[in-house]
Amino acid sequence: MPPEIVHTPDSLLRRPRYLLWSMWRDLLASRELAWRLMVRDISAQYRQALLGVMWAFIPPIAMALGFTLARDANVFTVGETDIPYPAYVMFNTALWQTFTDAATGPVQAIIQAKPMLARVNFPREAIVLAKLGEVGFNFAIKLILIVALFLYFRVPVGWSVILAPVALVHLILLGVLVGVLLAPIGVLYQDVSKSLNMVMGFWLFLTPVIYPVPTEGAFGVLVAWNPVTPLLTTLRELATTGVVSNPLGFWVVSGATLVGLLLTWISFRIAIPYVVERVTS
Amino acid sequence: MLVNTQGQSLFSDLPDGLPVISVEGVSKKFCRDLKRSLFYGVQDIASDLTGGRHNSDRLRDGEFWALQSIDFSLYRGQALGLIGTNGAGKSTLLRIISGLIKPDVGRIRVRGRIAPLIALGAGFNPILTGRENIYANMSILGLSTARIKERFQDVVEFAEIKEAIDAPVQTYSSGMAARLGFACAIYTEPDILLIDEVLAVGDARFKAKCYRRLYELRQKGVAFILVNHNAQSILNICDAALYLSGGALIAHGEVNSVVDQYENDIFLDGTERSNNSLTFPAKAPEKSTGAEIRALFFRDAQEQPTQTLITGEPATLCLTCESNDHYTGVTFNIRVVKVGGEESAGNVLALRGENDDAFFEISPGLSELQLRLPYLGLEPGTYAAQIRLRKDSMYMFDVVEAFRFTIATANSDMSKCRFYQPRDWAVVSSPHPSSIVN
Repeated sequence: MPPEIVHTPDSLLRRPRYLLWSMWRDLLASRELAWRLMVRDISAQYRQALLGVMWAFIPPIAMALGFTLARDANVFTVGETDIPYPAYVMFNTALWQTFTDAATGPVQAIIQAKPMLARVNFPREAIVLAKLGEVGFNFAIKLILIVALFLYFRVPVGWSVILAPVALVHLILLGVLVGVLLAPIGVLYQDVSKSLNMVMGFWLFLTPVIYPVPTEGAFGVLVAWNPVTPLLTTLRELATTGVVSNPLGFWVVSGATLVGLLLTWISFRIAIPYVVERVTS
Repeated sequence: MLVNTQGQSLFSDLPDGLPVISVEGVSKKFCRDLKRSLFYGVQDIASDLTGGRHNSDRLRDGEFWALQSIDFSLYRGQALGLIGTNGAGKSTLLRIISGLIKPDVGRIRVRGRIAPLIALGAGFNPILTGRENIYANMSILGLSTARIKERFQDVVEFAEIKEAIDAPVQTYSSGMAARLGFACAIYTEPDILLIDEVLAVGDARFKAKCYRRLYELRQKGVAFILVNHNAQSILNICDAALYLSGGALIAHGEVNSVVDQYENDIFLDGTERSNNSLTFPAKAPEKSTGAEIRALFFRDAQEQPTQTLITGEPATLCLTCESNDHYTGVTFNIRVVKVGGEESAGNVLALRGENDDAFFEISPGLSELQLRLPYLGLEPGTYAAQIRLRKDSMYMFDVVEAFRFTIATANSDMSKCRFYQPRDWAVVSSPHPSSIVN
C-alpha cells in the first residue's frame, strides 16, 4: 500500500521536513517526465521549422553583423575589447540569449502547460527541468558557432576553459531563478509575459554584451550592480584570456543565486495550487 | 459511514479496512469576479508564504462556498457516483481529491495512486505521432518509461489505432484521439480512478468496451469516483452515490435512493414514484414546451393499470401527456438500459415511434399514448428507461431521464437465458407432401 497523502489547507511551511522531502522526491520523480517533455518539445519545435537548428545561429550572427557595421561606420564608439569585436559580440550574444531563454522559458512553459496543470497532478518541476534541458540543447548548438568563431578569429583559449561550464551553469541558474519566480504570477496576470520582453531588452542594455565593462559614471555603477555582469564576464574571461577580473563579484552572485533558487523553488511549489485554482480548466 | 460489504469480503487483505479516500469536512470557496479572484489568488499565495492563512474558513467579499463540509469515504473496489447539476461542485471535489487545488477547510487522505480521467490526452501535441504522444501522456500520468514500454502494445490495441500509430495526432479523427487518451489513462493501472464525464467518447461499441474495461478494473479492486449528469450511467456502474447541490452534500448512500432524490429535485418537486409508475405535477404555463409528460405506468393484458411486470406476459407502456394545443405527428422514443448489470453498457431495448410510423394526433388536455408489447421480452431485473416525447422526429416536447421499473418474475424459466422467445410447439400428423425433400 502506497504511503498516505494528506491534503490540508495548512501552509507547507509549517511542515518543513515534509516540504523538503517532497521537493526531493518530486525532483527525482520528474527526471523521466522532464526528459519526455523535452524530447516532445524539441522534436515538435524542429518538425515545423524549415531552417531547423539554424535558428540557434541566426540571432547572434545578425547582432554581431549589425553592431560591427555600426561601429565601423562610427555610429557609436566602444572601448577596446580583449578579443576581436565581432567575436566579442557574437560570443556575448550567445551567452545572453542562453540567459534570456532560461529566464523566459519557465514562464512560457508554465503558461503553455496550463491545461495540463489544471487537470493532472504531476511533479511540476518537470516542466521547468524540461525547459532547462531545452536551454542546454540550444546552447550546445550555439557552441558549434562559438567554436567556429574562435577558430576563425584565432581567439586564444587557455586551460581555464575547462572551468567555464561552472560559470555557465551559474548564469543559467540565475536565469531560471528569475523565470521560476515570475512563472506563477505569469499564469495569473498576462502583464508578466507582456512586459518580460521589454524588461529583457532593457536588461540587455545594462549588460556588457555589445560593449566592454564600463568603469565610470552612473552607467558604470548600474552595470556593475547588474547581477548578470560578473557571471557573463567571468564566463567569457574563463573561456578566453583566463584572467578573471572580478572573482569576488562572481562568487557573491553565484552564492546568492543558489540560495535564491532554493527559496524560489519553495515558493513556486507553494504558489502553484493557488494558481491552478484560479485558472479553472 | 458507508461500507461496501461486497468489496470488503472480496478484498479481505485490506489493512483494517482503511478507505482509499477519506474526505473530512472539506470546504472550498470560489469567487466569480475574475479580477477579484486573481487578486485573492495572489493574496493567498502571499499569506501562505508568510507561514499560514488565517481565516481561510471565512468568506471574503464576492466569494461563495463552492463546496461546503463534504464528508465521505471510498473503499477499495467501490464505485461512487457524483451527481448534481452544473456548478454543484462535482469537478471541484475531484480536483481537490487529486491534489490539484487545496481545500480551504478540512482535509483529505488518499491511500493509493490516483489516475484522473478528467484529462483525456493531457499534453497531446498535435504535431507528434501517436507513438510519441503515448509516451509523453503516460509519463505525465506518472509512469516510468519501462512501464510504458510494457503496456504500449495493450494501449495501441485498446485504442484500435494500429495503422495510425506513426501518423501525427492532428491527422486523427476526434474519436481516435479520444480513444487514445482513454486507453493511455486506463492502462496506467491506478488504485483510484476519477472519471469526469469522459465516457461520452467514441461510438457505442467503443463505449461498451470502456465500460467492460472499467468493470474488470473494479473486479481487481480499483475504486472509482464517477461524475455524470446522466443518472442512467451512474445507476449502471455505481453502488453508492453522492448528491451535491450548490456545494452542499444533500444525500449520500445507496445509489438508487440518492438518484431518486436527485431526480425528484431536478424534475420539479412533487414527482411521485411508486412501484413501476411515475407521475409529474403540471408545469407552470411559462415553462411549458407545448406538451409534457404527466405520467408513466404500465397496463396489463386486461388494460388495467398494473404494478407487476412479468417476463413473457403482455404489457403496455402508457404515457399520459398534457397538451395545451392541438398537435399532429406526436410520438415518443424509449431507450432501456439494465441497471447494475455486468454487461451494463448499451441499451437492451430502443424503440422509436417515428421508425414505426406511430404518429398521433392529440387535442388540448390529457391524452394517453400507448406502446403495446404483446410479450415483455426483457429478463427479470431492474431497468431504467429514457423516454422522449417528440413531434415529427424534430422537436422534443419533454424528456424523462430515468423511469425505473422492475420486472419481478418470468412466466417461463429464464435462469439459463436472457431473452424471452414467444413460441409455440406443435406436431402436424399429416404434413403436406411437398414439404418433404428427398
